[in-house]
Amino acid sequence: MKTYLELIILLPLLGGIVNALLGGRLLPRRASEFLACAVIWGSFAATVAAALAYKAQTSVEIATWLSDFDFKAPLTLYLDPLSLSLCLMITFVCALIHTYAVGYMKEDPSYVRFFALLNLFVAAMLLLVLAENLPLLYLGWEGVGFCSYALIGFWYTDPKNATAGRKAFIVTRIGDTGLGIAVVWLFELLGTESIPHLNQMGHLLPTGIVTALGLLLLLAAMGKSAQVPLMVWLPDAMAGPTPVSAQIHAATMVTAGVYLLMRMFPLIGTSPTVVAAIAITGAVTAFYGASCAVVQRDLKRILAYSTISQIGYMMMGVGAGAITASTFHLLVHAFFKALLFLGAGCVITAMHHEQDIFRMGGLRRTLPGTFWPFLAGALCLAGVPLTGGFFSKDGILGAVWLKGGMLYGGLYVAGLITALITAFYTFRMVLIVFGGEIPLNPPFIKGEVKTLPRIMEWPLIPLALLGLFGGLLNLPEYLGNGFLHSFLAQPGGNEQALPHTTELLLQGVAAVVAVTGIVAAWLRYGGERRVKSLAKEQQPASGIAAFLLEGWRLDALYDLLIVRPYTRLSSFLWQKLDEGVVDDSLDRTAALFGRCGRWIGSRGQGRVSLSLLGMAVGAALTLFWLAWVVL
Amino acid sequence: MIVPLAHVLVLAAILFGLGLVCTLVWRSNVIMLLIGIEIMLNAAMLVFVGGSNHWGAADGQVFALVIMAMTSAEVSLALALVVYLHRRKNTVDVDEFRELRD
Repeated sequence: MKTYLELIILLPLLGGIVNALLGGRLLPRRASEFLACAVIWGSFAATVAAALAYKAQTSVEIATWLSDFDFKAPLTLYLDPLSLSLCLMITFVCALIHTYAVGYMKEDPSYVRFFALLNLFVAAMLLLVLAENLPLLYLGWEGVGFCSYALIGFWYTDPKNATAGRKAFIVTRIGDTGLGIAVVWLFELLGTESIPHLNQMGHLLPTGIVTALGLLLLLAAMGKSAQVPLMVWLPDAMAGPTPVSAQIHAATMVTAGVYLLMRMFPLIGTSPTVVAAIAITGAVTAFYGASCAVVQRDLKRILAYSTISQIGYMMMGVGAGAITASTFHLLVHAFFKALLFLGAGCVITAMHHEQDIFRMGGLRRTLPGTFWPFLAGALCLAGVPLTGGFFSKDGILGAVWLKGGMLYGGLYVAGLITALITAFYTFRMVLIVFGGEIPLNPPFIKGEVKTLPRIMEWPLIPLALLGLFGGLLNLPEYLGNGFLHSFLAQPGGNEQALPHTTELLLQGVAAVVAVTGIVAAWLRYGGERRVKSLAKEQQPASGIAAFLLEGWRLDALYDLLIVRPYTRLSSFLWQKLDEGVVDDSLDRTAALFGRCGRWIGSRGQGRVSLSLLGMAVGAALTLFWLAWVVL
Repeated sequence: MIVPLAHVLVLAAILFGLGLVCTLVWRSNVIMLLIGIEIMLNAAMLVFVGGSNHWGAADGQVFALVIMAMTSAEVSLALALVVYLHRRKNTVDVDEFRELRD
């Protein structure tokens, strides 16, 4: 088991380091690409081996790391059902995305930097998931943050991309502050950093402190998982290459915040305030993302907003105490969202790097290899019955319904409305991109859709199958017991199950909502009405559409509230305080001394011999005086 | 040791006075100025050695060695400066070099 766990993390790390050091000059391009993919597939194989050998929760100490008096944070990996299922998902999805990236980055000259960072990211992400103590988790947390920053700004020669990278880094840093404080504070309170120990010691703390800790961790999750109000970085993060968006900003890194909350849930879940705050954050974010996605015209931005919205669902699930349902949605979402992003990458490549959906159309005939998997992903995202997305989303909504009361009842309704909007915008996207005919004013000549390499289309197929049949992972109870449910069940956990009739009823409602959304999209964009609706939407957006297009104008608000006062304060401190007071006073003092020196100099003769004579006379006088005093 | 300390001190004082006069009087040549300084330093060294002998302590002799090392360094540097000065103004007269005044 120890070997497997070491291999899981060390293989991607090795790939990243070898590529970074030897890539380009010593390794031919093929070898570099092969190495990058092989280490991730190797890591996946090690994870499968670990899963087969898995019997009970184990923690394996690999080496000592930080150690100072009582403080101990060794390099210890912790394998339990939650981290194991996440590792399986991460290594598999990332391996497929690496393979896809070989095709996507075929013409890019900086492939070495790309693959090295991509491998390094996987290593950091696995470290985050497998870490047994909080400082180690924090190491992985910052590692993925750095790789995300470097990959968003991968094409850094365009200042827009570099700015997007910096924005992501700075905004997530706000959340990281919360995590940093929580890590230190937990050690001060409980004297240990080990996550399993901390989770057992929650009852030792007063509720007020648990609430504060929970809110700090929630702040961290808001930054990393792009939740309201720290979600502004994710849509801009789409500036990176599409495989990066699929891997980091859809499947793995952005779910790290949810993972953190799930990990620490036994500790923070005892505070009702924290739980409610998590649930409300999730619901607001889910609605926010869905509402913004409706009017976007950039294919990748639609998917980015839908990611924000889906992670909101997961947070809502955590807030309802349904860790299993949340994990289930996290896994299925990783499959279908990676699929959608990779499909979008295929579309964008085929359209010669055009991302505006209004300039696309009719691709179902020219790109069938992309269309069918993309449709499968869209069905999952929309929550059409019997797909994986349907069961996982329903699990969360069911758990929220089960909590009952005014708050959770309201959140359930918000979740349903979001599901309706989700189904609508998903099929708006599918119908505009793949339906109808290729528009007459395209940026390329009709029929000249670029052919895609095979390596970009086949990774879509396993992801589509996993998305469609992901429901089998955790079937509702009336269809036989869920595999994930029994696998993830914590000993002594108190996740209640819904009565079967209620569950069927809720699923019926969810199904009706999903189908309604799709029908509404069809009525607007299907068949003949497509042209008219598109012509109307091509006009510059105004009113509420513009409001939604700019993400509720939050960027402008933050600019007004934070960025501009900060810039003004900085320029005041720089020009008035530093240059005006500190530097200026020093300059004046120095000038004064200089003037004094020059004045004295102008009195003298400047002859060395005269100075010497003066010195000799002075010394003689001093001697005489001393002699006179002593004798 | 037959030479008493007082004799050593008188000799050192005479040497020091000679060096000082040399420094003050011979202003037309920087090299003579440096030689005067050397003589004064040697006078000081003589006092150190004499004192060390008188009180039976080795410190003064050690100090004399240190002064020797220091003067050799100083002379090599100073001679380099003289060469440089000569190259600039084609003279070694001390009073020609009065730029520090302005």
